[in-house]
Amino acid sequence: MIEAWQAQIKAAAAKGQKLQIAGGNTPLDSAAGAVIDTRQHTGIVEYEPNELVIVVRCGTPLADVESAMAKAGQMLAFEPPHFGEHCTIGGVVATGTSGPRRPYAGSVRDFVLGTKIIDGKGDHLSFGGKVMKNVAGFDVSRLLTGSMGTLGVITEISFKCLPLPKAQATRVFDFNATDAIEKMNRWYAEANPITATTWVDGKLYVRLAGAEPAVNTAVQKLGGESLANDTAWWADWREQKHSFFERDVPLHRMSCKSTAAPLDEAVQAIDWGGAQRWVRAPLADAAKTRYWAKRHGGYATANAAGSRSSFSTDGLDAALLDTHAKIKQSFDPYGVFHGL
Amino acid sequence: MNLTFERPTETSVATTVEALRKDFGDRAVTTHAIREQHSHGEGLQDAGMPDVVVFPETNEEVASIVKLCNQARIPVIAFGTGTSLEGHLKALYGGVCIDMSRMTKVLETNTEDLDCRVQAGVTREQLNTEIRHTGLFFPIDPGANASIGGMSATRASGTNAVRYGTMRENILGLTVVTPDGRIIRTGTRARKSSAGYDLTRLYIGSEGTLGIITEIQLKLYGVPERISAAVCQFDGLSNAVNTVITAMQMSIPMARIELLDAVQMDACMKYSKLEGFAAKPTLFMEFHGTDAYVAEQIEQMKAITADYGGSDYRFADKQEDRSKLWKARHDAYWAGMAYCPGKQAFATDSCVPISRLSDCIAAAKAEVDKSGLVCMIVGHVGDGNFHVQITFDPNDKDERARADKVAERIAHIAIEMGGTCTGEHGIGIHKLDALKVEHGEAVDVMRTIKKALDPNNIMNPGKTIPMT
Repeated sequence: MIEAWQAQIKAAAAKGQKLQIAGGNTPLDSAAGAVIDTRQHTGIVEYEPNELVIVVRCGTPLADVESAMAKAGQMLAFEPPHFGEHCTIGGVVATGTSGPRRPYAGSVRDFVLGTKIIDGKGDHLSFGGKVMKNVAGFDVSRLLTGSMGTLGVITEISFKCLPLPKAQATRVFDFNATDAIEKMNRWYAEANPITATTWVDGKLYVRLAGAEPAVNTAVQKLGGESLANDTAWWADWREQKHSFFERDVPLHRMSCKSTAAPLDEAVQAIDWGGAQRWVRAPLADAAKTRYWAKRHGGYATANAAGSRSSFSTDGLDAALLDTHAKIKQSFDPYGVFHGL
Repeated sequence: MNLTFERPTETSVATTVEALRKDFGDRAVTTHAIREQHSHGEGLQDAGMPDVVVFPETNEEVASIVKLCNQARIPVIAFGTGTSLEGHLKALYGGVCIDMSRMTKVLETNTEDLDCRVQAGVTREQLNTEIRHTGLFFPIDPGANASIGGMSATRASGTNAVRYGTMRENILGLTVVTPDGRIIRTGTRARKSSAGYDLTRLYIGSEGTLGIITEIQLKLYGVPERISAAVCQFDGLSNAVNTVITAMQMSIPMARIELLDAVQMDACMKYSKLEGFAAKPTLFMEFHGTDAYVAEQIEQMKAITADYGGSDYRFADKQEDRSKLWKARHDAYWAGMAYCPGKQAFATDSCVPISRLSDCIAAAKAEVDKSGLVCMIVGHVGDGNFHVQITFDPNDKDERARADKVAERIAHIAIEMGGTCTGEHGIGIHKLDALKVEHGEAVDVMRTIKKALDPNNIMNPGKTIPMT
């Protein structure tokens, strides 16, 4: 498969043609070039649970990776959303998508130990590897994470694995948005074993996980009501199947500093310890949400699906754009891949 | 594609030095003593002095120096506290050393957001002193009181990485002066990478070859309710290593877990006056958390160490006792030097997958024994990272050659086991060949990035990425 893709990329480069890299959920455009379907390159290359590392090919369904790891009592700690049954592990890395555990465990890039890619010249290259720490040369694996397929085809990824927590409990509290933000931030700073926090429909949901004594102590300390079937609740939230995501008004996703005060009078949900906000507002209000997010140290995207589907350089100044263009040029000198 | 760099002409250097003197007055220094002091880190002494050392105070001043150097094609080397180990600071082609020690402001501390922004010259001890009243701390601890800028540029880690990660996981954003003298800001306050590429991660660990880091937005952590340190000794090295492997595989959230082999322990006992220990393979451990959580971690660890024939634990719960213990660990290099009077030493920096750690250390030890040199092993073994400190007589060419050979063999053994030649010290000038072995053709892409971002190759030329 790799050789075929290399040949396809080399041919496209020679002819000045574009290629589209497709994962499980990629929106394809028939006018945007031939497709490299990453779902043709599947399988777990190496998984020794004792090594705390899993090496997988790009087209492997996320569900397969997770079930193999669950059998060994391990997980991808950044809790990636699937957004449907076709999600590939390569897509998770290319889009840099993390779930509810992200502010507490780390994001995709924090768990990517190494990558193999085919660049825009058709060379198959290997960056990083299987070790927890590596400072040999530039950190290209992290640069590729979230690069939306603009730099090359990610063909293989090695991830750091973590054991599944022994105990888990979710506590529910009746708080207004302001109090919820304050509690999310304070409880985390107090080193409680929190692995997810969401405020929606007037309730704060706090997930605790870890060793049993630690979880029990935190449950006692924080109080609140217990949530039955909490694993299902968090899965629904992560997959955007919660009723909040089903309403008709468009959805704006905002990333901001975690203590930013709630938006006035908006229909909103607060996620990631306060660092991610979901707001329901007409698209006409996009400028307003962008302004708000910028003022609070972040940025906003108006996005019906909730996941990123294209490479964005919104809001980058000239010097940053110039740096981006040089990086793009380094990986993809003939412009075979999309973006920039 | 190759990178090239030619030493600038004496006239061009003199003109640049003169211009810097005019702009910076007595903050542009050309005395031999200061230039010598800025020509090396803590590793082996490498002669290679900069032509001038400049002490800027603002981002704009750094940018003005870099602009001047870019026009004149003069090398620029950033200097934090001079504690790097791989020759990162050696001025291979002379040039301008930018000493960041006057950029020491903690610009903001956001106690509720658990982050802060600092200038690059702030040292980690200064930061922790300044934020002590907030109940927060910055955990990364490479031993030396390094600057945050230097730690960012070398992607430093150290004894706490097993719990808190390395610099890579703890930086939210940077201000960087680019090779053409522009000031860019990467990342946001938000804990989510923003639009575009993750440039923050590209600059972290680029060893001053892509730009000068001038400000850093850092994550902070709540000071744990309880911190407990413990020491456990073993009869065999493999028992100590296997204890660590088991603890990691069970995911016991150790804050630190450090290995010292028998020779290193002997040296540390003598140098740091540690009493009541034997010269045996030893683990130094530290536990962070609530009272209940720490007690549980200790019970779990005791069960594991008992399986591997570990000794009873010696605890250090009081701050001064813990400080003494960790100071002894961090002084391991100096203890090693004192242990072998008249010798010099350098350290390897292999990191392997945790399951191969025992094999790798055993293979490294076998190389050491074959060489007949006195070597000591210390390791941040929870990450799979360990250092062999190799001593040699600087006047004995044969010993030096054997020392180099051992280091090269150990690096290659780690790479063969799916690991890396450098887990935390970096490439600098000493590991350029090993980088090629480890990354193969991928080095070409790194070189292309270097060339694209720094077309005149003025940023720390000859380091990190092999020129050819």
